[in-house]
Amino acid sequence: MQRREFIKTTCLTCAGVIGGGALVSLFNSCSPLPVLKMSSKEPKLLVPESSFIDNQNVLIIKNSNLEFDILLVKKKDTSYNALYMQCTHESQPLSATKSGLFCSSHGSAFNLDGDVTVQPATKPLRKFKTETENNNIIIHIIL
Amino acid sequence: MKKTTPFLQKIAAIFVTLITISSQAQVITREDSLNAGLTPKNSPTVISGYGQAKVEYDMRFKTGVASLTRNVLFIGHRFSNKISFFSELEIEDAKVAGGKASGEISMEQLFLKFNINRNNYLVAGLFIPRIGIINENHLPTTFNSNDRPFVEQLIIPSTWRELGIGIYGQIPKIPGLNYSAALLNGLNSSGFKQGTGIVEGKFEGSNASASNLAVTGSLLYYVKEFRIQASTYYGGSAGLSQKQGDSLKLDYGAFGTPVSLNEVNVQYNGSNGIHFKVLGTYVTIKDADRINRAYANNTPSAMYGYYAELGYNLFKPFTKLSSKSMLLFVRYEAMNLNASLPKNGIEDGLQEKQYLVAGLHFQPLKGISVKLDYVQRITGEYNKLLYVTNPYASNIPFYTTYNFINLGIGYSF
Repeated sequence: MQRREFIKTTCLTCAGVIGGGALVSLFNSCSPLPVLKMSSKEPKLLVPESSFIDNQNVLIIKNSNLEFDILLVKKKDTSYNALYMQCTHESQPLSATKSGLFCSSHGSAFNLDGDVTVQPATKPLRKFKTETENNNIIIHIIL
Repeated sequence: MKKTTPFLQKIAAIFVTLITISSQAQVITREDSLNAGLTPKNSPTVISGYGQAKVEYDMRFKTGVASLTRNVLFIGHRFSNKISFFSELEIEDAKVAGGKASGEISMEQLFLKFNINRNNYLVAGLFIPRIGIINENHLPTTFNSNDRPFVEQLIIPSTWRELGIGIYGQIPKIPGLNYSAALLNGLNSSGFKQGTGIVEGKFEGSNASASNLAVTGSLLYYVKEFRIQASTYYGGSAGLSQKQGDSLKLDYGAFGTPVSLNEVNVQYNGSNGIHFKVLGTYVTIKDADRINRAYANNTPSAMYGYYAELGYNLFKPFTKLSSKSMLLFVRYEAMNLNASLPKNGIEDGLQEKQYLVAGLHFQPLKGISVKLDYVQRITGEYNKLLYVTNPYASNIPFYTTYNFINLGIGYSF
């Protein structure tokens, strides 16, 4: 094999692997996030740990008595972040993905710890206290 | 040169001084935090604002201009969980004096927002449609240079607000996918001006013609650390009566004498400190020849513009500096405001422009910006037939290349 041909083949293979990987990653990220619907008026929300399916690390909780959804994030150390999906800039509803939360109105972005990664928002997301008990995650709602 | 060096040294000294100022205090953005429970004492009314100021030094003529570019006062009120009021009152260039060339005072936005459900809402009033990057995200703390990208001033007007109704929302089945659609008043082609495209054809809520309309829509997708957006605009530019339309030989009615604008942009804000954005836009005015015949304003039949910006947060490797950022950036912009001309159009090389912008954007904390940048502007030769110039020796000569240094501040709270 000529050197030029080798370089060309190698480059094409690399491009194919990277491109294919990117496409697989893109398609994976397109799948809808799991949603748990509730209608609790209690200040504590009880979420079974089994609600996290297919090795997903995020779960959207829709409680009809709350104005915004909550994104429950399972962290690597098995603790949880319960993030109120309300942008701290203009109080718009946030759009959640597996990698973060985004405000379509003005471009603010937050990571899965609720910290601002892109302004104009300047303060982190409201985070509710969580604890685990008997295979349930308890979210303490204090508005 | 003798005068340049001390001036630049002063700018550098000021910038270094500002960099050394640091604060551990957190700025809390109250703007629009209208939901009860988030504003202090559950106040339903919020006052906030943003603004910017800069000094610009022209390296060719060795002159400087300082200006309070804009100050915007935000007032919002939350009537209920479902209905809120938003308004922004803007003063440009600090002062508005009767009978004198000076600044401008205007409503930048004023609308009511109606929440349909958690994922969708309506707006009605004077609002900024989702077109381009800067229109919706125009706070000085969210872009790097002192000036907004020039493509988003001359090809895509910013801030481009019109009266109308819009719907915004997200598609829950595809995480990160958002949409918008709006019906607005159209443009005024008699206002189109050589060198500023459609910018002077905006009504901005002031006695807008409701005889001609515009529709706009966008799709916005967040995937990993990318933000990908495409938007489109199609609207009439001749809100005329039948008699006026027939007399000027312009198509009137809702979408008569149409203007079409399409735009795509991609942004990357990496947790690795790298920032990247690209934008491209194309505008077509298919009846440009008729507009020129009616108003003699040398309207082009097509314009385009694009830019790419790359930046890196120099503080990223230092965990102690994680609350601050120092973005080193470079941006290249190109545009042609007479990319295509009708038969009765006159070509002007001045309308083909390139900009190279490079600089530092320092944020001692979120909500505060200190910016230092260098701008090089390159144009083609201007068409002498299109401009009336001073024939005397005092006339400032024309050059195709200009260089500027800007130092400015910005805030948002």
